Amino acid sequence: MKNVTIQQLVDDLEPVQRLHPNRAISAIVIITAVFMLFVVMVLGPREDIMSGRPDPMFLMRSGILLLLGLANAGAVIGMASPAVGRHNNSWQIAVAAASLFPLAAIILAMSAGFTNTLAAAYTGMECLRMSAVGGLAIAIPIILFLRRGAPTSPERAGWLTGIASGGLGAFAYNFHCPFNDLIYTGTWYTIAVGICAVTGRAIVPRLIRW
Amino acid sequence: MIASEEIMRGLMVRAQNGDKQAYSVLLEQTGRWLARFFARKIAADAVDDLVQDTLVSLHRKRASYDPSRPFLPWLAAIARYRWVDRLRQTYKHAAQSLDGEFGEKSHEDVVLAKISISRLLDQLPSGQAYAIRLVKIEGLTITEASAKTGQSEPLVKVNIHRGLKRLAALIESV
Repeated sequence: MKNVTIQQLVDDLEPVQRLHPNRAISAIVIITAVFMLFVVMVLGPREDIMSGRPDPMFLMRSGILLLLGLANAGAVIGMASPAVGRHNNSWQIAVAAASLFPLAAIILAMSAGFTNTLAAAYTGMECLRMSAVGGLAIAIPIILFLRRGAPTSPERAGWLTGIASGGLGAFAYNFHCPFNDLIYTGTWYTIAVGICAVTGRAIVPRLIRW
Repeated sequence: MIASEEIMRGLMVRAQNGDKQAYSVLLEQTGRWLARFFARKIAADAVDDLVQDTLVSLHRKRASYDPSRPFLPWLAAIARYRWVDRLRQTYKHAAQSLDGEFGEKSHEDVVLAKISISRLLDQLPSGQAYAIRLVKIEGLTITEASAKTGQSEPLVKVNIHRGLKRLAALIESV
């Protein structure tokens, strides 16, 4: 150990503002809510919401996407402050729960086919676009928090950032999406979250500084 | 004698608030703790550099320490990250004997055992752990490790690559 290095570090010491995970989570929730309002005001809300009788598929989809987004957001925010022996597998449970949608879609498509889903490709692409735009906005506070923190697995942080932001972006868009079809949901929403996850894995590790 | 968890936690909190005197003591104590932590887990001539790297990371990332949690598991996570990062770097050095006792035993031994690097290596399949120990820690060449393990040279390389990837994913989990 070179004392000169310790002295340099001591000389460089300034008070630091500690990380506040609750503030990061609050920022994520607020941006999600703002984006949801934007979607509803610009694209219009689902009719069943306006009539006060939401479709069961909408409720299930909303719940799963919210669970997926928040569980992954919580996990990735926790990664900023590392500790040996800490376990957080809530994101894995959420991903497993969400994977029921694409699995069910595949099983149903074996008999019904993807014809209707592919015919709705235009709105499917809108789902991808809007989820990605919302995901990008939601990813910003996560990335800023990670840059201040010390994530010991930048690659995993990238995956979780992408899944969290994509899940919450899709959750916000879901308030406009008029489709209740399981195959449609299992296909386009999975692609939307998947693209955000892969993008997060590719980009976020490069933005984390040690 | 290395300071206890409670003392180091208190010093870290004061350091986060800008107390240079406490920080100086903390870094000195942490340096000793890290030297012990890394002992026999990397070539002896690389320990000092690794300790320095970890102290610099501690300095840069000191905002990420949460005072409501224990200090040593946080430090160990950063130290493990730095260790895996160092193993990933290609370096060559003369093989050195890594035998022998290091430092004095202290009341922190139990804590250290739970967060040690050995515990991390134990999670790897034996072939991967052995290849990493021989090449990355003891400094053998791929050819020498191949002869010693009975694994082919490509297999030694694959085991090192996969083992390091797995270590990186396991840093906080065990």
